[in-house]
Amino acid sequence: MKGLDRRLRLRHLAYGLAGLALAGGLVAWAGLVNIGASSGHWSVTNVALHWVMRNAVRTYALLEPAPPAGLDEAARVRRAAGHFEAACVFCHGAPERPSPLLAARMTPPPPPLTHVAEHWGARELFRIVRHGVKYTGMPAWIALGREDEVWDMVAFLKALPAMDDAAYRRAALGPQGPEPTADTALAGCVRCHGRDGGSDGGAFPVLAGQSEAYLAASLAAFASGRRASGVMQFAVDGLEEAELARLARYYAGLPGLGEAPPAAETASPATATAAPGTGGGGGPAAGPGAWGLEIIARGLPAEGVPACAGCHGPSSARNPAYPRLGGQDAAYLANQLRLMKAEARGGGPYQRVMQVIAGRLPEQATDADAAAYAGRPAGPAPAARPD
Amino acid sequence: MLTGRPVHAAAAGRPGRVAVARRAAAGALALTLAACSGPQSALDPAGDAAEAIAGLFWVLLAGAAVIWALVIGAAVFALRFKTRPISERAGLRLVLWGGAVVPTLILSVLLVYGLRLMPLLRDPAAELRVEVVGEQFWWRVTYRPEGGPAVVSANEVRVPVGARVEFSLDAADVIHSFWIPALGGKVDMIPGRSNRLALRATRTGTFRGVCAEFCGPAHTRMAFPVVVMEPEAFRAWLAEQAREASPAGNETFLANGCGGCHAVRGTPATGTIGPDLTHLASRLSLGADLLPNDAASRARFVAEVDTLKPGARMPGFGMLPPAEAAAIADYLGSLE
Repeated sequence: MKGLDRRLRLRHLAYGLAGLALAGGLVAWAGLVNIGASSGHWSVTNVALHWVMRNAVRTYALLEPAPPAGLDEAARVRRAAGHFEAACVFCHGAPERPSPLLAARMTPPPPPLTHVAEHWGARELFRIVRHGVKYTGMPAWIALGREDEVWDMVAFLKALPAMDDAAYRRAALGPQGPEPTADTALAGCVRCHGRDGGSDGGAFPVLAGQSEAYLAASLAAFASGRRASGVMQFAVDGLEEAELARLARYYAGLPGLGEAPPAAETASPATATAAPGTGGGGGPAAGPGAWGLEIIARGLPAEGVPACAGCHGPSSARNPAYPRLGGQDAAYLANQLRLMKAEARGGGPYQRVMQVIAGRLPEQATDADAAAYAGRPAGPAPAARPD
Repeated sequence: MLTGRPVHAAAAGRPGRVAVARRAAAGALALTLAACSGPQSALDPAGDAAEAIAGLFWVLLAGAAVIWALVIGAAVFALRFKTRPISERAGLRLVLWGGAVVPTLILSVLLVYGLRLMPLLRDPAAELRVEVVGEQFWWRVTYRPEGGPAVVSANEVRVPVGARVEFSLDAADVIHSFWIPALGGKVDMIPGRSNRLALRATRTGTFRGVCAEFCGPAHTRMAFPVVVMEPEAFRAWLAEQAREASPAGNETFLANGCGGCHAVRGTPATGTIGPDLTHLASRLSLGADLLPNDAASRARFVAEVDTLKPGARMPGFGMLPPAEAAAIADYLGSLE
């Protein structure tokens, strides 16, 4: 008798569930679910969705890397602000500006980000910026492997609460503010790279005087996705090949980068061009400046690193696809070397050559080398070469 | 080693089973014996160390054959003819003599016979010293003739016939092993120490050496031609190798940074990471005996080195525009 009761109850439960599923299916099939954005969510849906989203971000943030040192550097904020102005403002708005009208009609409406850093930790922001949020319209970062760019954006978001309109404009448009130009493609570049193609205090690579062939190949690589960057792939998206070539020509034509590191130009030729194994130098103990110049002139043969000057040195007949590095920003160079080492950069058709070499460059040599090309010393001398 | 599949049975008009088996056995034997000669065979010696090793091999083979025949004979005798059991005492004595005393004696004699050959490996009175460094996946070769300048080359070893040559063997990265089967035994190349190997070639010819210790993905593509020359021809060759190259036509080579890793003596290319290319075109083969040394292979090697030799340090330059790739291949071809 008891067993029969339980069987009956279970059977009724199954009928009930099947009936509910059928009814739900019928409602969806009949097209009765209102998916229009105009009406917004029911408040219960809103609360439920946000509850799920907050929990998920908190949990998945645990899988993301720990924040790097120097997250509050001004250069990071400047780098990300330029991209924010181009890519994010349309939905999220900017300090002291009226909230965007069209984006406010989305469901859910994109929130203003002025105080977002007070609710989320750095890793949680990193999680959201890198991976986006499903069902909200928040996209993932274009280049998932470029963690450095995502951290820049997190640095910007953390700096945002303290920014008024003037501070935001300074960060997003550069110290000179918006520069009137009829050239819409160039106007996009100028926001970060300026009209002069300078590094703006170490935030950007120096473009002025770069080899035109290298700039053109880099832009083409961003456009095709062979070089990874959430910022630059977005910036060149939709630009015609002819426009990219024109931009490369513009920045290549400005006075700027040289063939050799500035210090080597004044050094005695004997030091700069001595053959391998003929003395001179002295490894990291010689001081970071001298060590960097030594790597440029002679490489690190024991590590399989050829002299940088073999490709990035003074010669009128150098392959123009190889970038000029003399006077390049040190932080940019070091970051690019590390990205190559991690095989996270990509690039033009020749990038594999440098990726192979960067993979052998010892960690401490990276900064010394970059600083030597930039022409300034890179902090204290390392005690010994890492083995 | 070979399967005796009658692949030509139909063409030969369906021979019987025995004929097929006989033909397969003959083929297998011919192929096996073919491996006994050629440029990379220890059984076709062209040096006194290799002759000693080949002699040792034949003595061991003959001794092993005799012992095998005795053991099998004893087993057959015990199974077929001796049906009455022997006493326990006799059995113990048989085990003691046949299982311990006689084998110990034979092995001791063979050990002494083998060890007697070891002093051949070292030779303080060598007439020529050659340093060979094994690197992934090529050979850095430096000749140090008495009273002459050192001569740097790569991926090829040349020695004069009849002269005692002492090789100094090092490794730059992982353990390699230097083996020219036709000239002598193999010696490991171990990072951090120099091993010695003295060889004397007894006849001229072109032989082949190999890396005989697994050293990475392209280990099997790490070999080198060995040329045994008449002393006069060797001296002339070495003098030619010591000559600097002409820089004519090297613009594309330098413009693409090849000189950062490769040296072409007499030009601004002074790299020491990869093989010295000063006389590349004079070598018998390319890429550590991987490709023939012709114009097409030189171009192919530059473009596809990363797939031809997986794990090699050089990146492939397949992205070069055809004109530049051709200019570099032409320049390499001019380095006689």
